[in-house]
Amino acid sequence: MQDRDRAGHAAAPRRALLGGLAAAALSHPALARPTLAQGAAGARPLRIGMITSLSGPFTALGESMRAGMNLFLAGSGRAVAGRPVEFLVEDDAARPEEGVRRARKLVGQDRVDVLCGVISSGVALALRDVVTEARVPTFLLGSANDLARKAASPYIVRPTKTNWMLGTTAARWTFERISKGRVLTAGSDYAAGREFVGDFAATYRELGGRIDRQLWTPLGSTDFGPLLTAIAAERPEVVYAFFAGSDAVRFLRQWKEYRLAGRVPLVGPGALFDQEDVLPAVGDAALGAVGAFHQSPTAPAAAAFGRAYAATGKPLPGEFSTTGYVCGQVIGAALERAEGDLSDWERARAVLFDRPVDTAFGRMPFDPRNGQAILDIHVNEVRRGADGKMVNTVLHTYEAVRDPGPAA
Amino acid sequence: MGLVLVQFLNALSFSALLLLTGLGLSVVLSLMNFLNLAHGSFYLLGSYVAVLWLGAGLPWWMAFPAAFLAAALAGALLERFPFRGFYGRPHLMQVLLTYGLSVILADLMRWGFGAAILSPELPEALSGVVFVLDMPFPVYRLFLVAAGTLLAGLLWWGLDRTLWGAVIRAAVADRGIVETLGIDTGRVLAAVLVLSAGLGGLSGALGAGMLAAYPGLDEEVLILALVTVVVGGLGTFRGTVAGALAVGFALTFSRVWLPELANGAAFAAMALLLMLRPDGIVAPRQRQV
Repeated sequence: MQDRDRAGHAAAPRRALLGGLAAAALSHPALARPTLAQGAAGARPLRIGMITSLSGPFTALGESMRAGMNLFLAGSGRAVAGRPVEFLVEDDAARPEEGVRRARKLVGQDRVDVLCGVISSGVALALRDVVTEARVPTFLLGSANDLARKAASPYIVRPTKTNWMLGTTAARWTFERISKGRVLTAGSDYAAGREFVGDFAATYRELGGRIDRQLWTPLGSTDFGPLLTAIAAERPEVVYAFFAGSDAVRFLRQWKEYRLAGRVPLVGPGALFDQEDVLPAVGDAALGAVGAFHQSPTAPAAAAFGRAYAATGKPLPGEFSTTGYVCGQVIGAALERAEGDLSDWERARAVLFDRPVDTAFGRMPFDPRNGQAILDIHVNEVRRGADGKMVNTVLHTYEAVRDPGPAA
Repeated sequence: MGLVLVQFLNALSFSALLLLTGLGLSVVLSLMNFLNLAHGSFYLLGSYVAVLWLGAGLPWWMAFPAAFLAAALAGALLERFPFRGFYGRPHLMQVLLTYGLSVILADLMRWGFGAAILSPELPEALSGVVFVLDMPFPVYRLFLVAAGTLLAGLLWWGLDRTLWGAVIRAAVADRGIVETLGIDTGRVLAAVLVLSAGLGGLSGALGAGMLAAYPGLDEEVLILALVTVVVGGLGTFRGTVAGALAVGFALTFSRVWLPELANGAAFAAMALLLMLRPDGIVAPRQRQV
């Protein structure tokens, strides 16, 4: 009893002190709510909310995306078109229902002016209706084909690729330069894997090529031994594979362990050989492999971004750091062109799509039908760089690849 | 023929990995009736220690004892607080405690080791292949099978055939009687937990060559280990071995024969097994006084 009394006495002044601190903080101009600052400071700050995966299977990718956006904001002095920028990040844990909850929080509670981000296509598709109903301009970075087709929305801008763009260009390259038959495909058995492999197979067959076997393995496979043994027994001329993140690392390491590296040509979407998230962890297992990608550290447009990224102590950038940066560039361009005011979104959207935006992915025109970027797709070969590290090196570029969009 | 044989070896090596992860979990569960959901964290800690050790160019074989010691140290600290107070509590309380801890440990490791996917530089001796009827099979996987067999054998011998093992089993059966013999059972139980954590770290070091190391792997491994222990039979040593073989072969051959339904088929088979034998493949002897 006595103890509790003593604790009670001790707590009272502490509570008073905390209350005082809170009051002091609220009256401090820098911490005051943005609405209060409106008249005094001139322009009201622009609030950008990002939803990305900071836990769950895409953690590394989400961290890269956030780092890319932060680099853009730091480079622009945290102000665009004369408006200071506030940047808020929420974690969707790669779960659609969590993403929707976070989006509602950012829109309803934090009153963001612009939403951006998202890695998982599941989250991106779940957010489509939420942002369309709330009429919030959203720069959505998931890559499911439907985002540029059935699920396109006038409030969504897509400054990144669709899966189709990478699947179809990989098929063209494979057919023209590597082999016209005896292709084996191997993929992660989930939505993105089905799209990459399906679009590859469709284009390859249209061109007249033959696909011998298609193998699938569950997302998050711990052991690729059974799959690789099946591939080794099949002895195909080319393997087209799609795996991402930790699956890509395991697949490539085991690809080498089972002595397939260097014997069977390996083609994939660039995510399988991501410069930042995959290549540093697989040694020389991917040497000589070819990936179709909208991002390459050796593409001329990416040079300035690559230098800025390296200056922050990071390695060569991969897809998601570049995507985060490009997303910032496109939001910046939208704001510049609309003279800092996105409240009339219809007009802002029209002037944004009026002419291409110069980004780290290159010159980026937009398809006004669905807000989808039209991108140059590079064919990257994994080569040994001057310092012995593996680098995605541009072999060829398919220019201005445009998703069929609503026509598909 | 070569294909089937190599797939058999694939299944065997995956079973060895499951056995390694299941052993540590099963030791505390069967001997102390303590359900430790933070076991995946010890595994991941061991993986990170091994990756850093091998990356630093230190003698490669020392990576395994280093990982064992690092995880055992973490286990010893956590045993002092808060595990010790929860040995006698119901499983639900233990689950809440250890799951919460695993979330905290996951964040700490992400902070300390970063979010990137890391994988170890294997030494020459372990990175070759052997040819089985013209089909290549990695030496590293044979090493895993050997390590799994050796560890399981050592553990079985230590717990079943030595005086120390007898003391541990007695301390679980009736703490009071063992105390009257002048043995400090608190220390005995602490030693078991530290051993289990160390085994987790060691299996992480061995598994890193196959699974790499990244945030979130702790949960994936924990689930595989739990499935292994439950299918095999809670509380028995032979059960964990049987469970590892059953799960390893089911997951591997479902991937060979039914790749599109792989996980579903494998887990359906395990669910069926549990319906037929609710106590697992090897049901524990009821130790009651």
